[in-house]
Amino acid sequence: MHDGERYAVLVVGGGPAGMSAAMTAADAGLRTLLVDERPTLGGQVFKQPGLGFAVTDGRPLGAQWRYGHRMVQRAEGSAVMTAMRTAVIDVEEQRDGWNAVLATDDAHTRTVFASRVILCPGAHDRPIVFPGWTLPGVITAGGLQSLVKTQRFMPGRRMVFAGSGPVALAFPAQLAEFGADIVVALEAGPAPNAADVARLAGAAAGNLDLLIDAARYRAGLLRHRVPLRYRRIIVRAEGDRRVERVVHAAVDADWRPIAGTEETVAADLLCIGYGFAPSLELLRLIGAGFDDDEALGGPTVRRDRWCRTTAARIYAAGDGTGVEGSKVAIDEGVVAGLAAVMDEGSLPEEKAVAAAAPALRRIRRRRALARATARMYHVGRGIYGLADESTVVCRCEEVTAGDLAHVIATTDDISVVKALTRAGMGPCQGRYCSRHISAMIGREHDIALATIAPSTPRMPVRPVPIAAIADRAVTDPGLFTAPSGNP
Amino acid sequence: MTGYDATLPRSEADVVIVGGGIAGCALAYHLAMAGTDVLLLERGSINREASGTNAGSFHLQLAIHQLSGKGTAADHDRLLADARLSLEADRLWDKLSGELDGDLGVHRTGGWMVAETEDQLRTLYEKHELEEQAGIETEVVTGAALRSRAPYLAGNLLGATYCPAEGHANPLVVAPLYAKRAQEAGATIATGVEVTGIDRQPDSAGGRFVIRTSGGDLRAHRVVNCAGAWSGRLADMVGLRFPVRSEGLHVNVSERRPRMFEPMIQHIGRRLTLKQTEVGTFIIGGGWPTGTSTHRRYPTLWSSAAGNLAVALDVVPTLADVRIVRTWSGVIVFTDDFSPIVGESEQVPGFFACVASTGFTFSPLLARQLAERMLDPATASGFPQRYSLDRVSH
Repeated sequence: MHDGERYAVLVVGGGPAGMSAAMTAADAGLRTLLVDERPTLGGQVFKQPGLGFAVTDGRPLGAQWRYGHRMVQRAEGSAVMTAMRTAVIDVEEQRDGWNAVLATDDAHTRTVFASRVILCPGAHDRPIVFPGWTLPGVITAGGLQSLVKTQRFMPGRRMVFAGSGPVALAFPAQLAEFGADIVVALEAGPAPNAADVARLAGAAAGNLDLLIDAARYRAGLLRHRVPLRYRRIIVRAEGDRRVERVVHAAVDADWRPIAGTEETVAADLLCIGYGFAPSLELLRLIGAGFDDDEALGGPTVRRDRWCRTTAARIYAAGDGTGVEGSKVAIDEGVVAGLAAVMDEGSLPEEKAVAAAAPALRRIRRRRALARATARMYHVGRGIYGLADESTVVCRCEEVTAGDLAHVIATTDDISVVKALTRAGMGPCQGRYCSRHISAMIGREHDIALATIAPSTPRMPVRPVPIAAIADRAVTDPGLFTAPSGNP
Repeated sequence: MTGYDATLPRSEADVVIVGGGIAGCALAYHLAMAGTDVLLLERGSINREASGTNAGSFHLQLAIHQLSGKGTAADHDRLLADARLSLEADRLWDKLSGELDGDLGVHRTGGWMVAETEDQLRTLYEKHELEEQAGIETEVVTGAALRSRAPYLAGNLLGATYCPAEGHANPLVVAPLYAKRAQEAGATIATGVEVTGIDRQPDSAGGRFVIRTSGGDLRAHRVVNCAGAWSGRLADMVGLRFPVRSEGLHVNVSERRPRMFEPMIQHIGRRLTLKQTEVGTFIIGGGWPTGTSTHRRYPTLWSSAAGNLAVALDVVPTLADVRIVRTWSGVIVFTDDFSPIVGESEQVPGFFACVASTGFTFSPLLARQLAERMLDPATASGFPQRYSLDRVSH
């Protein structure tokens, strides 16, 4: 049962992947709806300044912002219909497509039908739990980026950046450019060695833009005299009701802190950027199959070469399928969009293959680069071992690592852990804590993290007011009525 | 604890209980305490189905699911007996935390059952009369008295019955604590073992039953079916037909809010059970279905959320801006004739059952009664004919 709105294609997520998928489908003449929770298109990476801000000169905002701005303008001028400030909070399979429940602000939800759905949910900061992570003054790279991009605001004076991967270079450099005083930038991974440089050179074809970016970021850090220290990790944040000191330490190859190497530095802002994790709620809810690759953010949805998931009529593209950056996301959006058009019968297969070829070629090159950086960007399991007994793991329900360890000693079932501790039952639905809890279970019971089943996915994937859900037209289905013939 | 490939810890037992929910665990506890040799088999983990996924409410007032749709008159005797059973269940729950020496989270919050129409109000008066006969304390409250005692209820409600004994316990701890005490008393509990068949060997000295399981074969003198939603399938293995069906039930959970009201709230004419938990979340359910699906065991349904929450909003309008953060579902067993299935089969001697709808409230009591009967058939009272395991098979 839907409320009368029908689409050929529903695209969830207005970032690079979603915009490119929606435009591909709409350009082919399919009735396409693009839904995003934010007030403007662009997603996290192309996030536009907030309402009330007007850009008078795009130059200081960087090439990435300008590229994104052009893409947003193109999407807005296309035949794509959009629903902004709108979350898809439930999807239910129908005989020939899917119903999706849309929640816009606090207005009453509405249900739309789409023959095919392309999920481009993007990624969020990989949640890292360590002593002091809930202190005011600790912020994730994505969160700080949002503040800077949409509000032009920096919430502290002396900042420590702790992270890993491409973000660990790019982000401090961007912030330094913005005027932040970065005391030290910590990278948990190793410094590039000669073999890495050789591998990078080998993968340079088609990736020069990224390599030039990286060189520019490194130069930026040098120019702003930001010390970049490799093989060091955040150990804890300390302070009276807010961050005053940051303690870091050297790590071994698996990112476990090495005793006796701790250093303390005064700071009022600690920015955490250990890469990103795909947003999985809707992908889990549709029952898609998953693989697991920590370098891509953890669980990665299983897809064929056309970005089809294992669920009928559902496609997935972009960082929500494994974090590979905006360029891959845009190309995957094209491939998923073409696949939906082809599967709807609006494009012959040979034409779809030809149209997708350039995007697939670029994706292959990016993946070659990712293989070249695998040693440097490998995510060590120590990242999930930083909490001590009293560290809060589930901040919604205030469950500590000690509380969890007590229960995990008796079970390897995350649903049982959730039931007995309430961890993951709060408004964030376990987005923050579930990976950490899975890692704790893995350590205690010696099970590979990749094989630990998550707790049952449940709608609504965002909190929604009761009045926005309630519908008097739905009447008692009579479960409790005895079948006829009985008293 | 999980894993569905466990092997059997033993190859024979006097009593084999099938099902690790509240009924099976309570029965194992009572039998083991009396020195009986008990082995409990559970396909998954203890308490992972209805016993652990229900909302933990004590349904002591006669409720909509006990009425056949023909008012109270048509089923007077059955309803009166049910009300008496409620009273006994109430007394048992009073002492259960003490008996099991643990905190079961029992809270007597009281409970409202509301009426919106004249017909529904009439039903409230009728059931109040029955409850009075049975000895359950309820009262009918209407008009200004209802407004002042329950200002959170919608102004257009015609009346409500109040039962001070209603409340809830924590469904996550009850069956596991029964299981723990049963083990301490000598019972064996095997999880991850699925029963795949039961062969009868009436004349064998080694036991009347050979139970085929995923972990190997097992001999037993007596078998007890405590398999809830799957009890029909188990009965079928010995040639009995149980009047049962199973349904998934949908439940909504909200964010935490400051205390709005204490009592549980139900509706005599529409599907609603609503309460605010100790931590401040609202749990809203009452008999809305889940879908069927292959990839999740019991998916929750948008239409059930929409319909269920509409009833909640009609009854407590100030819930409007409270946000739902999650839904969950569990499976429940329904008996087609509203009566539980408890006792020993006449057709298959040695085969017992303890199966009830509203099982969280009643299973501790029914399991204790069944244990008494199994331990001492001569002196313990028998069960009413309408509980019979053979009532459909005959």
